[in-house]
Amino acid sequence: MDISLSQGSAILPSVSLNKSVMPDSLAVKIENLSISYKINVESKKTLKNALMRASRGERVRTKTVEAVKNLTLDIPHGSVLGIVGANGAGKSTLMRSIAGILPPTQGRIGVNGKISTLLALGVGFNKALSGRDNIILGGLASGLSRDEIESQTDAIAEFADLPEGFIDMPVRTYSSGMYSRVAFSVAVNMTPDILLLDEALSAGDAAFKEKSFNKMRQLCEEARTILIVSHALSSINELCDHAIWLHRGQMLASGKPGEITEKYLKFLNVGELPSSYEDL
Amino acid sequence: MSEAQNKVQIFEPHKSSLPPLRPYLKDFWRRREFATELSKFTDKAEYLDSKLGNVWLVLNPLFLALIYFLLVTIIQGGRGGLGGFTTLCHILIGLFTFYFAQNCILSGAQSITSGGRLILNQAFPRSLLPLSSAISAARQFWPTIPVYISIVVIGKLAIDDTTIPGLTWNYLLVPALLILLAITSFGLALFFATLNVYFRDTTKLLSYIMRIWLYASPVLWQPDMLSGWYRIILYLNPLGPILSANSRIWIDGLTPTLSQAIGCVVWCLISILFGGYFFISRERDFAVRIS
Repeated sequence: MDISLSQGSAILPSVSLNKSVMPDSLAVKIENLSISYKINVESKKTLKNALMRASRGERVRTKTVEAVKNLTLDIPHGSVLGIVGANGAGKSTLMRSIAGILPPTQGRIGVNGKISTLLALGVGFNKALSGRDNIILGGLASGLSRDEIESQTDAIAEFADLPEGFIDMPVRTYSSGMYSRVAFSVAVNMTPDILLLDEALSAGDAAFKEKSFNKMRQLCEEARTILIVSHALSSINELCDHAIWLHRGQMLASGKPGEITEKYLKFLNVGELPSSYEDL
Repeated sequence: MSEAQNKVQIFEPHKSSLPPLRPYLKDFWRRREFATELSKFTDKAEYLDSKLGNVWLVLNPLFLALIYFLLVTIIQGGRGGLGGFTTLCHILIGLFTFYFAQNCILSGAQSITSGGRLILNQAFPRSLLPLSSAISAARQFWPTIPVYISIVVIGKLAIDDTTIPGLTWNYLLVPALLILLAITSFGLALFFATLNVYFRDTTKLLSYIMRIWLYASPVLWQPDMLSGWYRIILYLNPLGPILSANSRIWIDGLTPTLSQAIGCVVWCLISILFGGYFFISRERDFAVRIS
């Protein structure tokens, strides 16, 4: 597979990224992407605090977080890209920016196809409602029509291995495993062109894990693209055909999953970056 | 799957200005079913454990109207300009209508911060969340109209000298008035929802603001009670012209005045344009602010 990666390259001329410069072979094209945002150092963001500060003539204390720094990445259709990195490396921010949830500060992201996200398990679930209701809501939130999602509800319930009748029970009666399996099933059954999974591979037991891996392989055979963020390095090795390592917002390495996870693991064990990365 | 979902999407840096409005509004319209269903499911979850269910939605403003009626009657010492039953009807329809706006504004203001996890997981026009609250408020409002009509019919049969009008053509103007009220309230909900993302105690403050807003609106008092320069209060209040026109139709049986009609349309436009601009120009930062 051909994932071209570069980092720290000069800002491209301001050519608008549109269909003419977004090759059909690419699912995602990231150009010189930087994402930074200001976080409020104040404990509570309230009108009361704002007025108190204003009365004392103080300004709000903010800190700028550079979550992703100058990242360039081309991801072809049908590839499975693993993203590894320590906490705070910018992995989730990158996923959210590809999903269109967080805007870039610099650079551009081009996405060619329908995205389905599972950026945190069970997000948006209302525990008072039944599994069926939550599946419908999840589908509608990701842009499907009610008819489209209703036609897939039983397949989703079946994929999630829910015991008989549980699909119409309130989600608060579900075990944590059932809960995660439903969330995972909703994301993978939305027939996405691009599937973004953030720490979602831990759903269910060993049997469900095998089933979910098979489903993801099937999606790849259908030329769908998957981006996986996970701390489960063995899963990255098993599923992905390419991997990148993010560290403090920068891409340190890219290559075969085995090589990348080995380097990352070494870093985790030794606690120091390889000498070739120290300048980064 | 729709075509819109399959096309190439480009995400670029933005300043604090509006995104391209045409695709935004197209996406907003395409996903309106999400807002409708979210509203249905939220209401369903809320009243799942209540035996009386959504009957409370009618009982609550009804009881409040009775309390306010007693209060107003005691304060006026029976010297009110209108008959007792007419005063009750004025408070009832005014309160029912005001509650529609209040529910829309209050729950809309909380919709972004309470939908935080959804915002962090999915990309969609965020204005669908306040829209969902507005749909819930409308669904809670509809049943109060037959309740009001039933009370009027019973009252007209039981009390001979009531001045409440019977069937008139003016009632045909009520849907137009309610549409203007819905748009005005939705615009205000967009404004307060944005403010609540930046200042999390906005909704707490808003509950007091709504109480003052109720007293400053022609709900517990009739618009005719104000004279001279005091009448400007009716027009400085975004809900004032609509509530005055509403009372004129339901209680006086008359067509709204020209100044009321202009006031309704002007506040509706100010509210939706300003609230919409404030919300849409900032909604791309919501995920950062909420996380």
